Amino acid sequence: MEDLLNAYDMSLIRTAAVMVIMALSLNLITGFCGQISLGHAAFMGVGAYTSVVLSINGVDFILGTLAGMALAGILGILVGLTSLRVRHDFLAITTMGIVFLFSGIVEQSSFLGDTDGLSGYPHPAYGDFAYMVMTILLAIAVMLLSIYIRRSWMGATFKSIGDDEDTARILGIDVSLYKLAAFVMGTSLAGLAGSLYAHQTTIIQAENFGFIESITVLSMVVFGGVGSIAGVTVAAIVLTLLPLWSQFIGDYKLLFYGGLLFLMMRFAPYGLAGIVVRLQRLVFRRTGDTG
Amino acid sequence: MRTKLLFAGVLSAGIFAAGMAQAQNIKIGFHAPLTGFAAADGKSAVLGAQLAVEQINAKGGVNGKKLQLVIYDDQASPKNSAPIANKLISQDKVALAISGSYSGATRAAAGVFQKAKVPYIAAYAVHPSITKAGPYVFRTSFVGEVQGRAGAKLVGDILKKRRVVLITLKNDFGRSLVRGFKEKAAAYGVKIVSEYEYSIKNRQFGPIIAKVKADKPDAIYATGYFFTAGPLVRQLRAAGVKAVVIGQEGYDSQKFIKIAGKAAEGVVITTSLNRDSKRAVTLGFIKAFEKKAGYKADMVAATTHTAIYVAAAALKAAGSMDPAAIRAAIAKTTVNAATGQISFNSLGEVQKSVLVQVVRNGNWHFHSKIDDKMLLAPPTK
Amino acid sequence: MTELALLVQGLLDGSIYALIAVGLTLVYGLLRILHVAHAALFTLGGYVGVVVTNETGSFILALVAAMIVAGIAGMIIYRLVYQPILHLPPYVALIASIGLFIAMQEGFRFYDEQGVSYVNPPVQGTLELAGQTLQLAKIVTFFVAIILIGGLGLLAAKTRTGVAWRATVTMPAMAESFGINIIQVRYINFFIGSALAAVAGVMVSLTTNLVEPTSGDVWSYKALAIIVLGGLGSMRGTLIACFALGVLEAFATTTCVPLGNIQICLGEIMNRDAIAFAFLVIVLMIRPQGLFVRA
Repeated sequence: MEDLLNAYDMSLIRTAAVMVIMALSLNLITGFCGQISLGHAAFMGVGAYTSVVLSINGVDFILGTLAGMALAGILGILVGLTSLRVRHDFLAITTMGIVFLFSGIVEQSSFLGDTDGLSGYPHPAYGDFAYMVMTILLAIAVMLLSIYIRRSWMGATFKSIGDDEDTARILGIDVSLYKLAAFVMGTSLAGLAGSLYAHQTTIIQAENFGFIESITVLSMVVFGGVGSIAGVTVAAIVLTLLPLWSQFIGDYKLLFYGGLLFLMMRFAPYGLAGIVVRLQRLVFRRTGDTG
Repeated sequence: MRTKLLFAGVLSAGIFAAGMAQAQNIKIGFHAPLTGFAAADGKSAVLGAQLAVEQINAKGGVNGKKLQLVIYDDQASPKNSAPIANKLISQDKVALAISGSYSGATRAAAGVFQKAKVPYIAAYAVHPSITKAGPYVFRTSFVGEVQGRAGAKLVGDILKKRRVVLITLKNDFGRSLVRGFKEKAAAYGVKIVSEYEYSIKNRQFGPIIAKVKADKPDAIYATGYFFTAGPLVRQLRAAGVKAVVIGQEGYDSQKFIKIAGKAAEGVVITTSLNRDSKRAVTLGFIKAFEKKAGYKADMVAATTHTAIYVAAAALKAAGSMDPAAIRAAIAKTTVNAATGQISFNSLGEVQKSVLVQVVRNGNWHFHSKIDDKMLLAPPTK
Repeated sequence: MTELALLVQGLLDGSIYALIAVGLTLVYGLLRILHVAHAALFTLGGYVGVVVTNETGSFILALVAAMIVAGIAGMIIYRLVYQPILHLPPYVALIASIGLFIAMQEGFRFYDEQGVSYVNPPVQGTLELAGQTLQLAKIVTFFVAIILIGGLGLLAAKTRTGVAWRATVTMPAMAESFGINIIQVRYINFFIGSALAAVAGVMVSLTTNLVEPTSGDVWSYKALAIIVLGGLGSMRGTLIACFALGVLEAFATTTCVPLGNIQICLGEIMNRDAIAFAFLVIVLMIRPQGLFVRA
């Protein structure tokens, strides 16, 4: 098995798995709970920097990752608290601000390597193949967690908040608590993705966790269909691999992402999942007619 | 995609009798920022490398084989360069690779190449950590700190300026230059009056310039690329700041003069390309590049051109495709190239003189040369 | 004296923010859309300004051309992008707008990857004022901003069209029942806002002599922070926020404030572009409704 995949194939699979975790974690916030976040990559950055700084100081990879998740989650609570205070439109811009604050502060902090970033940090001693298997398993775990949350009573509550916050409130749902829960879970999973990303590459810099990265993750959620677990997973894989496979799309990656976001919103605001549903309806109606 | 390429390959082999040569080409991996903020430098980097490959192939290639560049766009981002390095190694199976990119992207790729034990040459990325990745990584240009030290000598010893203000580009390029400058400033009697920093996206320098004006410096050591330095120098002069501006190889492009206009006159930089060179190889490069590119040669093009010549010389000396043999050949090579005499020390760093250029009548010209071996000694570990 | 110089520089930068943010506020007021792609029209204006000046030699012609081209582009964006999705949740328009912004920036690359510069840059004089040398281009920008925005305010307050316009912003349904053509008002809105952004793009190009595909980047994010600071949709709040941010940035990036024995240097804690958002987050913590609430 190990011989079938060369180093490049494995790096592609690892990257795709990390992006699946990222996209699904944003989906918890945006998809399940209807809260737009334009700064999700900053939480990935918090996870990455925390776990790298700890591993430089001799802390084990797993412990470092957990710490990264915790710190990202704590920051998530802070942003979540802001989301309770400000209007919907304000939240989008505030989360956008988180990205600029993150890079603005990291690039001035010498213990975080300022603009040089951090490099030459120790990697977990699993080897490329085992590391790849681990990221795949974690991505699957995050998928299962997403499915579980959606099926449980929590998911139903999230949906009612996403659909209509005021009605949910009248029904006696503690909207604030659930919003916070969504933010904590989403951001700490982004921290997980950050730690996984950092330990499969050789250098991290603040700009890797910037606005464009946040938009890339958002475009995965949107492309897949806001809220749809299967759709978002497929979108994360396709959008990660496409620019690497096709030199043409690679060269015009931003044009492609930008155009995709725009065209999706304009013509198919419910994403891949929406298109599938529409096709299903079309097919069922047809079969209904003939049968 | 792969089957398509294969098909095209079979087709061309059928048509051309020489199709067999295709399979025997020596592949050289190459990454540069073809898109994004550094696209202008990426373009020069690729053209410089392509020019070198064409020249070498026209003379019969290396050991009877043609050189072939495999080029990818890294957008000057480490995020892109690491997968590209993996791709060049395991999919394209290149004999060696060259970075025509900035420090961040080069640092990320250097680790991957070292791990896979494939030789890698950084053409002009300045960060000190690049060659520290290991023995398979080389650099054909100055480490940032070395060039910064040369800048201090230029200011204090050659231009005889005492009071200096630093305007520092806040990235690994600007900061490593300034580290070297500060290290030697006192030794040349240079006093740093104050330091300001700006981020790479800034093009408006009003507040910084207002402060610089109040500082009344004799000279301004401003790190940056032509797209930040052009607007900066323009605005400095417009605000009536007359102190001499000292730049580095990031300024080294005709585009800087185009942006800064008359304000560019008298700006002095440390770089590795001498426009008024009398060396045949440099002159030949400057002429051939302008003919190929349609614009004047710059530092970036000269260094990638040089890196390809270093690679070709090493491939020739190694006589095999064994990466360890190629690495050993690079380490031993001495090449007379567009940016000077290139040979490497134990860390894979190059030692050569720093060329000082000045803008006169809308063109870069020779100003002076810094040859101090002690000052310019690259790190060895 | 340095403090005065910094204050002046901050106000001059603030006037550019104002030219950009007015359009954003207009669009938000009318449609409740965060129009991120607005900054691409700033860049478009810069490109048209440089190219037309180089071709014809007339800067005034170039400025007018930039305003018209960007204005029309703004109307097209409204018609083709926003109008069809107005009934969907607000994030749909926001994300579409971000996508459009990124795609437009990449589109400029097809025209000229490396950016464009003036061959003979216009308005390059300087002005000696109270011991300071000021760039004529910046002074012109400041007064152009004041005149255009002030004129707009007068128009809105005194003329029939202006009254209709304000009515549409505050009470669209009511306005429509009074026979105001809402769609027409929206088109005018996009034209004016986009033309102002183009003026900003052209004016900035005079001092930098470089218009790049990504020139609008920094401005777009900051302008969004500004309109949120200003209370979203409040013109007065937006304008105050513009100048406040300009001055804040001028001081924060270059000056340290002594606090007891330690020097607090904001510029050493975060970079210039983060200051706007730090300011925003702090303000929102204290006043979740923004600095100013829409009257």
